[in-house]
Amino acid sequence: MFVVGTFYFFAIFLIFSSLSVIFSKNPVNSVLFLVLTFLNSTFLFILIGAEFVGIILAIVYIGAVAILFLFVVMMLDIQLIDIVFSVKKYIPLAVLFALVIISEIIYLTVVKVVKGNILLEPSSINNTEAIGDVLYTKFFIDFQLSGIVLLLAMIGAIVLTHIYKPSIKRQNISHQNSVTASERVSLHNPKNGEGIDA
Amino acid sequence: MELTLIDILLGILKIFSFVMPVLISVALLVYLERKVLGAVQLRRGPNVVGPFGILQSFADVIKLITKENILPSNSNKFLFIFAPMLTLLLSLIAWAVIPISSKYVIADINIGILYLFAVSSFGVYGVIIAGWASNSKYPFLGALRSAAQMISYEVSIGFVIITVLLCVGSLNLTDIVESQKNVWFVLPLFPMFIVFIISCLAETNRLPFDLPEDEATLVAGFFTEYSSISFGLFFLAEYANMILMSSLTVILFLGGWYPPIDLFPFNAIPGLVWFSLKVFLILFVFLWVRATFPRYRYDQLMRLGWKIFLPLTLIWVILTSAFLYYFEMLPQ
Repeated sequence: MFVVGTFYFFAIFLIFSSLSVIFSKNPVNSVLFLVLTFLNSTFLFILIGAEFVGIILAIVYIGAVAILFLFVVMMLDIQLIDIVFSVKKYIPLAVLFALVIISEIIYLTVVKVVKGNILLEPSSINNTEAIGDVLYTKFFIDFQLSGIVLLLAMIGAIVLTHIYKPSIKRQNISHQNSVTASERVSLHNPKNGEGIDA
Repeated sequence: MELTLIDILLGILKIFSFVMPVLISVALLVYLERKVLGAVQLRRGPNVVGPFGILQSFADVIKLITKENILPSNSNKFLFIFAPMLTLLLSLIAWAVIPISSKYVIADINIGILYLFAVSSFGVYGVIIAGWASNSKYPFLGALRSAAQMISYEVSIGFVIITVLLCVGSLNLTDIVESQKNVWFVLPLFPMFIVFIISCLAETNRLPFDLPEDEATLVAGFFTEYSSISFGLFFLAEYANMILMSSLTVILFLGGWYPPIDLFPFNAIPGLVWFSLKVFLILFVFLWVRATFPRYRYDQLMRLGWKIFLPLTLIWVILTSAFLYYFEMLPQ
């Protein structure tokens, strides 16, 4: 009873917050609702006993990804964003994505019923160990491939943002550290009424 | 498993038995900080309110509560009030998984260390929401600095935690402490211990990494616009976080509730006392660092995080796992 009640509470809250992501006018509120959505899905994962997946979702998405979203959105000028743009433009794309996701769910649940050899028996082994057992053995290739995808994305981001211009002045740390006091400070004893010509 | 009313009431009592000592030790920690700083700078520190000035922080709290709470007129009111509440909440819920002795813990969950890591990484939200909702230049700059800083140092904290977990083979905090019965991890993993303490300073926005509140350039950083109890909540949360990170250091590296030597006069003292003494030691290091080091420049801070700590911790993860694998010491 308690678990079912908690499930419905978090599920309804999840739907409410994900709708608010779309309908909030202020983009900062959107991102904060997105954080709430991630948090609720974490709770749902923990409710079905997948505590490892749930908490990793929280660490990665709330602790890192959403903070960077927030970081970027906060620096936008809100007055510019508040202009209500046409939602209709994005409907075909949204429908396409929705169709892809729905067909994936149907494929996984109806056509290809998940085989018992992936699901481990609920024995003494906890689900962190269960994931660890299969991730680096059975799903080794998938794991490495997703790593390469992430690496490519990271290199792409660095290439896009790292600009080398001769006009940009950078500090050379080893140069700064090798400076001695006599190169930076010189002591003078000026006479009264006269300045120093440097 | 059915929850009864008595279970719930017991749970609430248990939570209070953790939260009240934390809040009281926050007050004492503030007093301790002022005394330590005073001693380092050859001053007396607070010495008027109560015996040796020990009630000074309680007097300060009463002052903060009775003051008027000012809401800036162009701020986002809801988020402005929500941010300090969130910050204090996050610094208190983390205590749910901290085992302060072999039996005494609220929730002994499988993934305790991940829970702590998650909660401490949420801490940045309080700061960044406060900075944005104030709708003012200095808090906003403070919030941006804080977001970048906390994310950078979380990476090295993550790697340090992975190194410890490789030696333990469990994500449960009680297991982590119990695997240090014979030798504390501070000895074999000493460089990681140093990296962890420094990263904790950055994660809790303490000096010499307190750039989010850098009073020399940003007035007071992200809580410039805060007054009265909403400022007080940030203040409480900062010190509660310090105690939390010190406890985490003790659990990961200093053998939790175990005595330094398992001999008669030492092992007769209860584990709770050892735990508190070790936490006190780490807290003293926090205050000592504050009194000793000047504040880092922002680019130096980022350079330390990404170009020194990240490669160092990454190499240590690889070295440790290679060592454990080669000598077949990987925990089963």
